[in-house]
This record gives sequence, structure tokens and C-alpha cells, in this order.
Amino acid sequence: MDKKNSFLKRFRLPAGLFFVALILPLVVSEFWVHVFTEIIILGLFAAAFNLIFGYMGQLSFGQAAYYGIGAYTTGLLMVKLQWPIFVCLPASMITAGLGALILGYFCVKLRGIYFAILTMAFGQFVFFIIFQWYSFTGGDNGLQGINPPMWLFKANAYYYFSLAVVTIGMVLLYFITESPFGYTLKAIRDNTERTEFIGINVQRYMLINFVISGMFCGLAGALWGPFNRSVAPDLCSWQHSGHPVFMAVMGGPHHFLGPMIGSVIFTFLNAFVTGFTEYWPLVSGLVMIIVVLLMPGGLFGIIKSKGYFETKSVVLEGNNPGDTGDKNNE
Amino acid sequence: MKFKKVFIGVFALLIAGIFCVSSVQAADPYNLGVALGFTGTGTLYSKDQMEGIQVAVDEINKQGGFLKQHPVKVFQQDTQTKPDVGVRTVKDLILRDKVRAVINDYSSAVAVAVKPICREYKVIHIAAISNSENITKINYSPYTFQVVPNSYMQAKAASYAVAQLAQKKGWKEYVTLASDYEWGRSTQEEVVTDLKKVAPFLKVKKELWPKLGETQFASFVTSIMSMKPDFVYACLASKDNVTFTEQAKPYGFFDKIPYVGSMQSVTELITEAKTMPRGLVAISRAPFFAHMDIPMMANFVKNYRAKYNGKYPSDWAVMGYDAVYALKQGVEKAGSIDNDKVKDAMKGLSVDLTRGKLQFRPIDNQLRCSSYVGIVRDDPKYPFPILAELIEIKAADSERPEAEIVAARQAEKK
Amino acid sequence: MEFTFLFSQFMSGLTYGLMLFLVASGLSLIFGVMNILNFAHATFWLIGAYICFTFWSLMEAHQFALWVSIPLAALATAAFGWVCEVVLIKRIYKRELHEQLLITYAMALILGDLIKIIWGPTDRLIVRPPIIQQPLHLFGAPIDSYFIFVILIGFTVAIGLWWFLKYTKYGHIVKAAVFSREMVGALGIPIPKIYTWVFTLGIFIAGLAGGVQSAIGSVTLGMDTNIIIQAFCVVVIGGFGSLMGTLVGSLIVGEVFSFAILYWPDGAMVLIFVITAAILIVRPWGLFGTPLRA
Repeated sequence: MDKKNSFLKRFRLPAGLFFVALILPLVVSEFWVHVFTEIIILGLFAAAFNLIFGYMGQLSFGQAAYYGIGAYTTGLLMVKLQWPIFVCLPASMITAGLGALILGYFCVKLRGIYFAILTMAFGQFVFFIIFQWYSFTGGDNGLQGINPPMWLFKANAYYYFSLAVVTIGMVLLYFITESPFGYTLKAIRDNTERTEFIGINVQRYMLINFVISGMFCGLAGALWGPFNRSVAPDLCSWQHSGHPVFMAVMGGPHHFLGPMIGSVIFTFLNAFVTGFTEYWPLVSGLVMIIVVLLMPGGLFGIIKSKGYFETKSVVLEGNNPGDTGDKNNE
Repeated sequence: MKFKKVFIGVFALLIAGIFCVSSVQAADPYNLGVALGFTGTGTLYSKDQMEGIQVAVDEINKQGGFLKQHPVKVFQQDTQTKPDVGVRTVKDLILRDKVRAVINDYSSAVAVAVKPICREYKVIHIAAISNSENITKINYSPYTFQVVPNSYMQAKAASYAVAQLAQKKGWKEYVTLASDYEWGRSTQEEVVTDLKKVAPFLKVKKELWPKLGETQFASFVTSIMSMKPDFVYACLASKDNVTFTEQAKPYGFFDKIPYVGSMQSVTELITEAKTMPRGLVAISRAPFFAHMDIPMMANFVKNYRAKYNGKYPSDWAVMGYDAVYALKQGVEKAGSIDNDKVKDAMKGLSVDLTRGKLQFRPIDNQLRCSSYVGIVRDDPKYPFPILAELIEIKAADSERPEAEIVAARQAEKK
Repeated sequence: MEFTFLFSQFMSGLTYGLMLFLVASGLSLIFGVMNILNFAHATFWLIGAYICFTFWSLMEAHQFALWVSIPLAALATAAFGWVCEVVLIKRIYKRELHEQLLITYAMALILGDLIKIIWGPTDRLIVRPPIIQQPLHLFGAPIDSYFIFVILIGFTVAIGLWWFLKYTKYGHIVKAAVFSREMVGALGIPIPKIYTWVFTLGIFIAGLAGGVQSAIGSVTLGMDTNIIIQAFCVVVIGGFGSLMGTLVGSLIVGEVFSFAILYWPDGAMVLIFVITAAILIVRPWGLFGTPLRA
């Protein structure tokens, strides 16, 4: 195949999605622009989560902690110190990354269900700290008055801003997943023992990955604060940590864009269903069960099994939808 | 396999179909948004308020609507008592349903998060359940109005009543028991500050802070009883108050220690009629029985009972009803449903409500309504206990002085 | 600090701990045998509480109403749990960890809304029978007399489970399955049936716990999300699959909480999570769990 052709073919989906995202505000009403801003921010969150899940094979049920740290960092900097948003975003990545470094140091000593529960416990730990530290964070009241600069005030403006940041974030994440580092992660996922045997310090790789994931979760959170004009401790709750899990599973954890697509479906569903019923938990629970039982590998898993995305890497890796490698992890 | 295909196909169609859902509203009806916490701790109060709102809307629409030409159409959304969901649902109501006013929320945190949104989109925002003072004191918004006696007013009213009781009974030491969240904290702080001023002979022995939604109060009960204070001042969230009362009763708590300050709205008086200890000194926000002599209240109670199977309206239903009527009178003064004109008209407006003729204080859009303190006692007129020996503490005696508000606003600007 | 005061705090902690034990023992059992972390466990507990209320309200006039409603509620909840296992849980034993977690989480969401649909948002309150309306006095400290009942039930369940696992044939099978389900299966014992009954037993205990809880304060929506995380902490601290561990874990959490609220009320919950995290880091299989499972 022609090198140029295969490059285009490989990236036709993300390019197509980006194009659609660009023209969206021109065709839909303001309400949906708000919804789409939410979708792309949560999509980045889910994609960052997926670094640990889809690419490294571990389930973190506490990524919302870093999302929350990022959100509160930007919130606090903007409200108390009036720092410009361009400085706050990287600052959020740093604080979230630090949090991930400290807490992740302990998490990566564990695997499987213990890893999951520890991440959940740490998530709750961060939640309660933010919740109880009333004088600093505003406690359960949250922090209000997080106003983006004038030129980002309108829905369309903030949408394009978020789109730019999210796209850069996704591109960076993509480079990470396709780098030798990323391939080592997949090796860790597929067979941790063997990877140890060839001399890789698995724990160190897991920690680095955990920190990267935390940083991008923090970036997503940083975008959320000014969008919402406020932040609340709920952003760190374990229920909120469950959202990226669901999005990744729904879209397909083995495709880079899976989590983003999952975010589209989930957020849409949420906006749609809550419009006419108060029983959203019931509906979302049912959808979750249907997706998990009938759609292993998510949406991309199903599409892949039809052979629409034949790229060499898929065939070589022998990726089976729903396979996270070590089945004996306890 | 086939099932999967069909399912996914339908799923995709559903998603595509969402785009086709449009909501173009004609200019005529007055779209009213109700964004309350229909799931979460505030479910019961929110449902009650919805009922009160509905009674008001029905009455008004019988006459043709606002200004007798704009029928009121209600759009309801569940904020799940969460600030970010609240923001999203209010945006939904404003952008898709094109509401002109929103009644919101059960939780002060949600109301405070929604305030800037309503201000940005120039939509009237009426708080009719949550009553944190922060809704009106700081970050002033000309679009936000509060029809509930706020936390400062309630606390001051309570301290006034407590100071009187303390003098009469010779109390010296007390323990505070407050739910660890915004309302609990601000109320407790206010009360302690006020009591220092009006009853300086009182001393706080200990401050206890159970978490919001606490289900096991035994440790708190036993620790209070061991401390043997002269009374307990409680600022527990409604559900927690019930749990505490139930768990404290078997210890003989209420026979030994006066329990003061809990909020017992008509909701609690009705649902706990069989179990609430009589003799509690309780505070309330809008009990209907305090104003049955006002024709509007008597009429509301009659219509409410007729619509809802003889049920009596709780404080939340009363305030929901009042919120709609306040809005109606604002529209009438403005002579139009244009939001900017209405908000200007409502500023400083005196309105006729079930609780009397009350004014919105210009400096903070707080309705100058009363707080009510009484002793829980049975009454032959009603199938549930009411607050007897009722003291109505008017706004003039309980509102925060304007100078303090100005100072607080200047402080936050820095 | 006088002794009476400390004693009553201790008793409060003991009661709270035993309530947690009742909720967590089923959770621990289910995880120990089937490796399923049942997110919906506390929701079954809450269903038990609501069902108990409903039974009680049907028999309100009678003195024995509460005492009969509790076991009835346990049975009804167990039956419902059996249905859930057969219809849904059965399908996820061989699935990946994340799928199992999402499914039980989804179940918690669905059941939570189901409770709201059936019983509505109003708080439900049981009026206690006169026998437990007055406090008892132990060492000068007033104790809620109902808590004696709670403590009795807690220890009965603990001893019952212990006796079941140690002395009965079925208990031996269950213990063996905790160690190696392949071997048990290889011996010709139907593993799926074992799983169904273990799950049902776990839910029975949860329902019983719910019935007991219903008389302690009101029954309200959302109590499940409040307690499930604490139940997880208990099981982590004590060790999955270990009965003794769950008992010790619950008592630790109960007493730590009871005393923490006196000295560091803001940090009581934070402290529990710190302890949980510490155990996971230092000894992931818990105080009484076995390293085999790590």
C-alpha cells in the first residue's frame, strides 16, 4: 500500500470526528454546544483513565480524585489569585500529577481487585479532605465565581477553546500510547510476569503511567471548572470515578478513540433521559448491564470484529475484545 | 448475533433522533422552570414544593395566566441535589425550554452554583427551600430572590427564643450538635455568635459535628448525655434530625436534656406525628397554621387539601406557592413578562403572600418574612402535633443589618 | 475521662461495629467464595429494611410486629437475592474484574431506583414496641435497650456462620471453594449451585441486617451509598473471605469512629480511609485473610 494512503486511511476516523466537532456549533443550538463541551472534556478524562485500563490492564476506580484536584487547582487559582487560564491549566496538570505520584506510589504495588479498591479508597480520601477543609476549599458548598476570561465567556468560544485543549491532549496521549513506552505498557498488560523477566521494572512503568494519566485527568478537570462556573467535592466521588470506566467500556478500551466515543454516547444518553424521567440511575444501570453483557469490547470491539478497521497493528497484536490479559489476577 | 445488530442499529437511530428533538416555544406562554432535588436527601421537600407550585399555577391559569394572557407552563427537572447536575439542568431549562424563571433548589450549594448561570442568561431565580444566607448576602445578583427566611434570620430568631428560655430556666452550659455541611455550619456559627450577645451568661461546652447523612448517632447521644449540658442546640439536617431523635429516645435523652433549635417543618410534624417527642423547642420556616387568619393562606390550604386528598401543605409547599405569586405580582408591576423589566419591578417590591404583605429588601432581594419558634404539642384541630406557644419573629428583628452586608460584600471583592 | 463516659462510647462503637459486621459479613462471604465484589450489597440491606417496615406496618397493632417482621424481611430479601443471582450474577462469574464491578454497580443503581419507585421518597419510621422504649443502665451509662438485641443478633450470626463453616458438610464445601474452586468442581460438586446458595445466604444476612436497622432511626433513600464504602473498608481491613476478619474489622471501624468523633470529628471518616489504605499497602489480604488469595 502507498505510504501516504495508509496514513490517511489510518487517521480517517479521528480526522472525520475532528471535522464534525469543528462545524458542530454552526449547526446546533446553544444547549447542544454546552452538551458537546461536556462530552469532550469528559472524553479526555475517559481517555486518560484508559491509559491505566485499556493500555495497562488495571482498573482504577479513583481517577476522579485527580480530575477533582485539577478542577479545584484551576478554581482556586482563578478565584483567589486571579491567575489567567493559560497558566492555570498546566498548574492543574502539575498538582494532579503530584497527587497521582504520591498516591500512585502505593497503588502500583498492588494488582487486580486490590489495586481497584485502593484507588477507590484514595479517591474517597481526597474527596473527604476537600469536603472537610471548609476554610480552604469551601467544603460541600464548593467554589463559585470561577469565571473564564471575557473572550471565552460565550458557549461557542469556550467550546472551541476546550476543543483545542482536548485535541492537543489527545494527540499527546496518542503519541504516548504509540511510543515504546506505550508498547511496554501493553506488554505489561498482556503478561506482567514475562515483562518482568525481560528486565523491565514493571512498578516504575506503572507509576509513570499512573502519573501521566493523573495529569491528563487533571487537565480535563481544569477545563471543567470555568465551564461550570463552579466546582464541588462531588467531582471526586467514587460514583464520578465510575463514569470514565463506563465510557471506556462502552466505547471500547482497546481502541484509542473508544473512551471518547463512550463519552459521546453516555453524555448524550444522560442529557436525553434526564429530560423526561427522574429515574436516570435505573436507565443507566440497565444500559450498563446491556453493554457489558452483550457488547464486549464496546462499540469499537463490535465494529472491529466486522473488519472495518484493518490495520496491521490490530492483526499482529491479536487483540481480542474484552481480553485484559492476565486472567489469574486475584 | 442478530439481536446485537438490531440493538445497535436502534441505539444509533435513537442517538440520531436526539438531534431532531426541538423545543421552539411560542412567545405567549410563560415558561416556568422548576429545578429541584427530586432524588437525593431533598426528595420529599422538593416534591412538596412542586405540589404547592402546581396549586398556584392552576389557580393563575384559571384566570388566563400572568397578566391574564400568558398561561404558565411548568418545566420540571431533577438537579439530583448536585451542583454540577443542577447547573446542567438549569442550562437545559433555559436553553431548550426557554424558561423565564427558575425555582431552585433544595440544597444551598446547588442554588449558589445556579445563581451565576441565571445571571448570565438573565433568568429570574427564586430560592424557595434552601436558605443559606450566602444566596443573597454575597455575590449579589439582581436576578436571584429568596422567599425563605435565610439562615441568619432563622438563627437569630432561635437565639432570641433560646435566650428567653435560658433566663427563665437558669441555663448555663450547652452543647451544639450540627450537621457538618454549609447550612449546619453557618447556622451553628450564627447562633453561637448571637447567644454570646443576647445571653452572655451561656457557655458552649462542646461542639459536635456529625456528618451529613449520618445513620449511627449512638456515639453522639452517649457523649452528650455524659456531658450533662443544660441544653443541646441542634442544627441537624431534617433527615438526620429524625434519625437522631429516634436513636436518642430510647436513652431517655429527651426526658433529661432540653433539645432546642431543631427545625421541625410541617413535613416532620406530619411524618413523625407518632414518634416526635412532645416538648421540643423547634424552629420553622413557613408553617401554615401560623397564618390561617390571612385569607390567602386559608384559601391556599383549602385548595391544596382539595387537590391532594386532604393532606396539609408543608412549609415547602407554602413557599413554592408564595414564590409563584411573588413572581406574578412582579410581572404585574412590570406590566410585561420581559425578564429585565420583571427583575427591576421585583426589587424592593411589597407582595401579598400567604404569610402576609411582605417586602423584598432592595439590598439583597431577601423577602422580609418571619421565622417561627414554638413547642411541639398536640392540637385537637389537626391529626398531627403543631408548634404551640408560637412566637413569630419578624424580619425587622432578625435580618442582618444592611451595614454588615455592605461590609461583607466589600470584603469579598478584595 | 470518667469510666462511664468511655464505656458508653465503647458500647456505641460496639453496636455500630456489629451493624457493620452484619452488612459486611455477607459481602465478605460472597467475595471469598465467588470473587465478586458486590456493590449492590448495601442496597439489598436497604431493601431488607424497607420490606421489614412494610411487614411491620401490616401488623402494627400487635406487640410482636417488629420481631416477626425482621426474619420475614430476611427471607423475602433472600428470595429476591436468589432471583438476582439466577438472572444476572450467574452470568458474570467468568467475566473480567471490571465487568463484574460494573454489573454489580449497575445492579445497585437499578435496585436503588426500584426502592424509590416502590416505596417513594418519604422516610419510613417504625414505632418501637414498648419493651425497647426505655433505656437500660449498665455501669451507670444509659444504653439503648434495642442495642442489646443488635449485639445478640450480631454475635448469633457470627457464631452461626462459624459453626456452619466449621462443622457442617456444606460449610466445609464452602470453605474448600474459597481455597480452590477447581478442585471442588473436580470432585463432582456442582459449583453453580454452591454459588447460588452462598449468594442467597449472603443476601439473607444483609436482609436480616436491614430488618434490624429499620428500628434504629428512620429508613430513608440513600442509606445504601452511605454504608457500602464503609462495608468495603471493613472487608479490606479484616480480610476477604475471613469471618473472624470481618468481625474484627467491623469492631475496629466501629470503635475508631466512635472515639474519633470526640477528638477529631472532622477527620473520623478520613481516618477510616487512611487505615484501609494502610492495610492494603502493608498487608493487602487483610488482617485475617490468607496470602493465597493475594
